[in-house]
Amino acid sequence: MVALLEKRHFRDFDWLLTLLATGIVLFGTWQIHNAQPTENFWKKQLLGLAVSLAALFAIAFTDYRKLLHIAPAFYIVGLILLVVVLVPGIGMKINGQRCWIRTPGIGQFQPSEFVKIPTVMMLAYYFGRVRQRALAWKEIIIGCGILALPVGLILLEPDLGQAITYMPLLAVVLFLSSIRMWLVITALVLVIVSAPLAYTVGVKTGVLHGYKLERINVILDPESADKRGYGYHTWQSILTVGKGQLTGTGGRQPEYSQSGLKFLPEPQSDFIFAVTAETTGFIGCVLLLIAYAVLLSRLILGARRSPDRAGMLVIMATVGGLAFQIFINVGMALGILPVIGVPLPLMSAGLSAVLATFIAIGFAVSVQLRRFVN
Amino acid sequence: MKFEDESQNLRGRMRTIQLVVLILLAVLGVRLYYLQIANGAYYAERAENQRVRLLPIPAQRGTIFDRNGHVLVDSRPIYNVILSREELKGQDFGALVAPLANGLGVDADILRERFDEIKSQPAFESIPVKQNATQADIAWVEAHSAEFPALRIEQQPQRRYPENGLLAHVLGYVGEINPKQLESAKYKDKGLKPGDIIGQEGLEAVYDDILRGRDGYSKVIVDSRGRIQEEIERVPPQAGQDIVTTIDLDLQQAAEEQLRNSPTGRGVIVAMNPNNGEILAMASYPTFDPNLFSQRINTKEGRAEYAALLRDPKKPLYNRAIRGRYPPGSTWKVPMSVAGLQQGAITVAHSNLVCGGGIQIGNKFTRCMGNHGTPDLRTAITRSCDGYFYRLGLKMGIKGIMEMVDEFDLNKRTGVDLPHELVSWTPSPEFKRRFNPHDPEWKDIDTVYASFGQVYDIMTPISMLRAVSAIGIGGQMYVPHLLKEVKPIGAVGEPNQPDYRPARPGRTFDEVRTAELPDANRPNPKLLSIPADQHQVVVEGMWGVVNNGGTAAVIKMAGFDIAGKTGTAQVVGLGKDVGANKDHSWFVSYAPAFKPEISAIALIENVGFGAKFAAPAVRAVYDVYYRKTRGGDAAPQQVAQQPPKVQSPKSKVPKRT
Repeated sequence: MVALLEKRHFRDFDWLLTLLATGIVLFGTWQIHNAQPTENFWKKQLLGLAVSLAALFAIAFTDYRKLLHIAPAFYIVGLILLVVVLVPGIGMKINGQRCWIRTPGIGQFQPSEFVKIPTVMMLAYYFGRVRQRALAWKEIIIGCGILALPVGLILLEPDLGQAITYMPLLAVVLFLSSIRMWLVITALVLVIVSAPLAYTVGVKTGVLHGYKLERINVILDPESADKRGYGYHTWQSILTVGKGQLTGTGGRQPEYSQSGLKFLPEPQSDFIFAVTAETTGFIGCVLLLIAYAVLLSRLILGARRSPDRAGMLVIMATVGGLAFQIFINVGMALGILPVIGVPLPLMSAGLSAVLATFIAIGFAVSVQLRRFVN
Repeated sequence: MKFEDESQNLRGRMRTIQLVVLILLAVLGVRLYYLQIANGAYYAERAENQRVRLLPIPAQRGTIFDRNGHVLVDSRPIYNVILSREELKGQDFGALVAPLANGLGVDADILRERFDEIKSQPAFESIPVKQNATQADIAWVEAHSAEFPALRIEQQPQRRYPENGLLAHVLGYVGEINPKQLESAKYKDKGLKPGDIIGQEGLEAVYDDILRGRDGYSKVIVDSRGRIQEEIERVPPQAGQDIVTTIDLDLQQAAEEQLRNSPTGRGVIVAMNPNNGEILAMASYPTFDPNLFSQRINTKEGRAEYAALLRDPKKPLYNRAIRGRYPPGSTWKVPMSVAGLQQGAITVAHSNLVCGGGIQIGNKFTRCMGNHGTPDLRTAITRSCDGYFYRLGLKMGIKGIMEMVDEFDLNKRTGVDLPHELVSWTPSPEFKRRFNPHDPEWKDIDTVYASFGQVYDIMTPISMLRAVSAIGIGGQMYVPHLLKEVKPIGAVGEPNQPDYRPARPGRTFDEVRTAELPDANRPNPKLLSIPADQHQVVVEGMWGVVNNGGTAAVIKMAGFDIAGKTGTAQVVGLGKDVGANKDHSWFVSYAPAFKPEISAIALIENVGFGAKFAAPAVRAVYDVYYRKTRGGDAAPQQVAQQPPKVQSPKSKVPKRT
């Protein structure tokens, strides 16, 4: 019986997903090495990959329904972590943000990365029941509340980048929970119309000024922006990406690359995509984007096969979160979105982010493994 | 999907999400195409430009030699401490002032001022913090490289001029090119940039293009903070061409010593070879230290020194040989004599004119210093008889005097190869109208004044020397000049490379003059028609000044016949001791009298009679020349021991000499 179960598990296990995720992390580790050949970020990343794979398997072979059952407990633990990180002495302050907890042995970790998982679980827990009707206002408000608690705590750190990545989690869950279409369309129209309107009004009234304005202006017109000031990051990233041209440098002479000469800031984390573009060129970047597309499509396929709504919601929220982060991070590196500190999933150096992503993928695998089980 | 509910259209919504995800990824792909494929080359170039920097390697400026191969000016490498630009982006300079001022021993105020200046300039490569850094400074910079990564040491050749202001006015000096010069026709399109060193005065300025080398550069890779990572290309500089001047250092030193030891310490001595215009010595006193401009002008002390030079009433910066204008006194009688003969106002056979102790024009009697009877031209020159020349001037008329001025180029620049030469003022009715508008009409009395070197005659020493030198050798008037030869320099680089610097050939003065100096097409020499017999008479008269009991008999030299003419130029009242405004003392001469090899002029300001000060000064230069050309043993006796052969000038009424 055990052998049978093991065999079936082995067969139904989503190897493609796992290999794809591992491959991206390995590719990313090469880029981290290109970005900072003399630092040991890339070694840490390999260590992180090992830990993450272990976590993935552990989660995958656990019944996700048991975990979802105690979602509120995870959620509360997550909130406690987010409170703890705010305590001076426990939470470490880096660049004015208190978002790291240093623990003996493990090192430092970033609670806001992990708390996405209990938040998704909590949302799935609440919205996962079988639906008969369209979403009620009360449900929407409760959903917002589930999200608002961790987001509010993260904003206290303050870490705007992380806080933003929580938004698509709720959006996807609401969208798949029969929210009325007119609400979706109204929200979209409002966003599309209000963005340029807000920009114009903001500039005219002087509300939008200083570095915030500069960071937007450099997107609109990088050539005439202040390339040495607040437009520096975006401009250097554009140069780095463009320099890669079709095939990239292949990582030769890393000491004279944009990151090697320290023109490109944060090359191993926020701007890892620019490094990828410089070393592997258009070909490498497009292959990476295709890999992401396959990964996300595979997850969506898994969601379709999910035995229940809660499982589907967990996977789709993960898809939404990952896709959103990819778009924000790469868009920033390509100079079409303002600079904001969001890591590129599976690529950016950082144990917390890789581990959290692998746990989410492990969840998705676990859901799939139980597709034939009732 | 086991939980699917048709009414929710869940399948459609999930597809929508998948579609949105793929569209977002596609948008990124399109943007990637735009950046990497469509504009990749452009961004690659921009990225290259920010990591590659050209650092100039300053070229060595040519050395300046005297005619015997003595070094007059050279360059030596010095080290400067600079702050590089990139690293100071958005930094507060103020915080750097105190530690740098302490560590490097520079003045905090100057540093602050420098930082303020630089702030207003949008583009600067580096800020010099300290020029001429010592070993200790360099060690300090290296020790503090972690603390002040923007500090760098840079090597630069620095010009070194002789001590004590020797030859300062001739050599001139170098300095940073100023914004106006960058725009000017002379320097435009020469590839110069702010901060480059060019010749600003004297020979350094005139022959700047020859002396200035062509900078090389080093192409380096820098990081975002401007720190050099590696040199990837090096184009060596081409040094400037050396030049040999006509100056004889020994004569120059003798001339300067005479001026330095003169009672007022102000004056000019110029010695030249009349046979080709080569200037052997050109001294103007007081002098200044050109090292001030090449080394110290960017320090507090240096600026104070410069301000003091500008304020000094003795005008040390001013080259009196070409910019000083003085009434020539009786030296004027030399060209008057030649012109009188040339124009037929007198002849060699009948050159006697009445002295009369002076002349009565209307109700005004203008005196001569003595009563010389009816002297011939020889005697009139030897004794400097004013009465004779009043009458000669009247016979020639103002027209004749103006003709003389034209003939001897007295109303033109001599064409000497120095900047800012002034033109003498010469007599003409037009000049009087301008000079004296209350009494604009030219009268006989004006002709009298114009004929003995006062009022309307205001000469630069160089123009007077040029004219008298031409008279001495019988009529060839050369352009006085300081450049003897330009040395060749070899090519640098590969012939078909863009950075190739072709060889620059050696050239003579005449080749340079006709190619690039102003007045290139004036004849050199200008030929004056002085018949031999007329020439003989004038030379004999001038010989007599020194050798036949004339006004400068005190400087007579055994074995070396000097022909000359003294002059005492009225400043306030002629012959009167008016303290600081005493007369200027002149002596113009050539030697040997009948076969001149050297000509010399001296002017000592506000000391009195020409015979007493200027003539002995010229004699001292001739002494050195004699020793150098005829051997040390024949060195003549001391000037002071020479028994005076003329009566003391004090014995009569105030004289003009």
